[in-house]
Amino acid sequence: MKRKRQALGPGRILGLLVVAMWSLFPVYWALKTSLSTNGAAQQVPVQWFPVHPTIVSYEALFGAGPEAADAAGGIAQSLINIVVETAGATVLTLAVAVVAAYAFARLRFRLKTALFYAVIATLTLPVYATLIPLYRIMSDIGLVNTYVGIILVYTSGFLPLAMWIMYNVFLALPKSMEEAARIDGASTLQAFVRVVLPTAKPGIAATAIVTFLFGWGQFIFPLVLSSSTATEPLTVLLAAIDSRNVPYTIINAAAMVAIAVPAVIVFLLNRWIVTGITAGSVK
Amino acid sequence: MGHGRVEHPEPRKRACDPKMRGAPTRLWARGQGDGFLPYAMVAPLVVFIGALAIYPTVLTVIEAFVHIDPLTPPDHFVGFGNFKDIFANAQVRQSLENTGWYALFGVALTVTLGTCTALLLQRPFRGRGLMLAIVVLPWALPGVVEGVIWSWIYNPTVGVLDSVLKSLHLIGQYVLFIGSHQVETILLISLVQVWQITPLAALIVLAALQSVPDELYEGAAVDGAPWHRVVRSITLPLVRPALAIATVEALVMSLNIFDQVYVLNANATTGASIMSATYFITFQDLNFGEGYALSLLATVITVVLAVVAVKLIYRKVEYP
Repeated sequence: MKRKRQALGPGRILGLLVVAMWSLFPVYWALKTSLSTNGAAQQVPVQWFPVHPTIVSYEALFGAGPEAADAAGGIAQSLINIVVETAGATVLTLAVAVVAAYAFARLRFRLKTALFYAVIATLTLPVYATLIPLYRIMSDIGLVNTYVGIILVYTSGFLPLAMWIMYNVFLALPKSMEEAARIDGASTLQAFVRVVLPTAKPGIAATAIVTFLFGWGQFIFPLVLSSSTATEPLTVLLAAIDSRNVPYTIINAAAMVAIAVPAVIVFLLNRWIVTGITAGSVK
Repeated sequence: MGHGRVEHPEPRKRACDPKMRGAPTRLWARGQGDGFLPYAMVAPLVVFIGALAIYPTVLTVIEAFVHIDPLTPPDHFVGFGNFKDIFANAQVRQSLENTGWYALFGVALTVTLGTCTALLLQRPFRGRGLMLAIVVLPWALPGVVEGVIWSWIYNPTVGVLDSVLKSLHLIGQYVLFIGSHQVETILLISLVQVWQITPLAALIVLAALQSVPDELYEGAAVDGAPWHRVVRSITLPLVRPALAIATVEALVMSLNIFDQVYVLNANATTGASIMSATYFITFQDLNFGEGYALSLLATVITVVLAVVAVKLIYRKVEYP
């Protein structure tokens, strides 16, 4: 009981500071670089703070200002692409996973165990197993460099984990409310839609957030399946800019654009992320 | 309200009545399964997984034994020919060795740092929510972005790492970190991935730590046990299943390392991983047969090592 109220000792404060520095420094460094002039960014020894902060790199990135000609361009389109692809895959993944997870968690049907384990087994499949065949399947049916193609591939990749998290969410819900609803004359489907889904909202939110972050971070699949200007997500464009001869200030500005969305999600919706990760990994 | 309740017993009894079996409105009755509905609910999932996960995996297994060259059709069965080719390829052999290093560094650093972070976060303190968000941040960022911002940190002419090491007099002049020495290159690229996946290990271990009953710690405190004994004798044994999960996750992710390698190492041999070798062989050299063979080999290695790791660590829990 003494333990619980103990104030933080100097050792733990130091440890926490080191952890915070380790987590934040690379992001801070990219932010600082993106707000520096090219000259200031390349000073030796380094300048720890942006002495004369400037947003010229961001202007150049979005096609304005004197350095625009050097920038890669296409970032606006790649932002639209990453949002469409990530949001599309998140919505589709959730729709399919939530419904199926409920059936696995609560309903009885033949082949249930076999189908459940077949789906869970694909959680262990590494990227290697599916990358090349998915490219060939998608090019055979003409879905390379299309939103539909990349959304289908993302969804198939995110489904097992989303289903597994939702399965655990449904198992943890009390059965009594559904039973009451059924006794009051609701069908299984009605009980699911009107009683279970509203109760499972926090779990659904956690799954959606984790799925969205997965989608935002995708790289090898879009690199192979959607690397045309019209469909490449920000991650693929960023790797392309990085390999060209573009000033580091602009590269770091592009990186900050890709960091902004997940960073906002982490700081605003952190609680759900922790729930989602924990629900997906325990057991 | 009252009316609905009064009527419960009747439908319930009918549901259990064997004579009512087969009545369409009572398909969820005991012993009956839930009729057609569950199949409709799992069908989309099964179609997705079947068509875009299981079918491609089967294709990988088959095509690894087929000679595929878009320039010289037709494709034909070659037995272990593709495997002979990949083992004859020095770049592939080095990528296998490199991936061993990636897995070693990735697992050791991720699990150690993750466990330390979890121990620091275990007890409540003011600002813990914000601290959790700070810890989770690197996990939420795309691997490519991390490669890009760390490549700037590692920059050999104006990078901050060189600057710090030089002002601490640890190096005499600026050095090239990536690409000059194999193990150093791998360690530094691995560190970027460790930065990304340590939060996952920390959260998994933290969840387990928080399920350890307080009484155990109180007992140890009464006995005057020093903190390192408490960690070794109480904490670690009880979080071992969580450590197993964290280890396997780190193992699978480090065996699959690609984004950080693509950005920091490109297609150089020095730091190539199996995944980057597979990518360049398949999509740059268009050698699909070898790409498939390497994919199958890597899949088998990943699955086997993951299963072995789970077995090893879990067994110790069951028979301490």
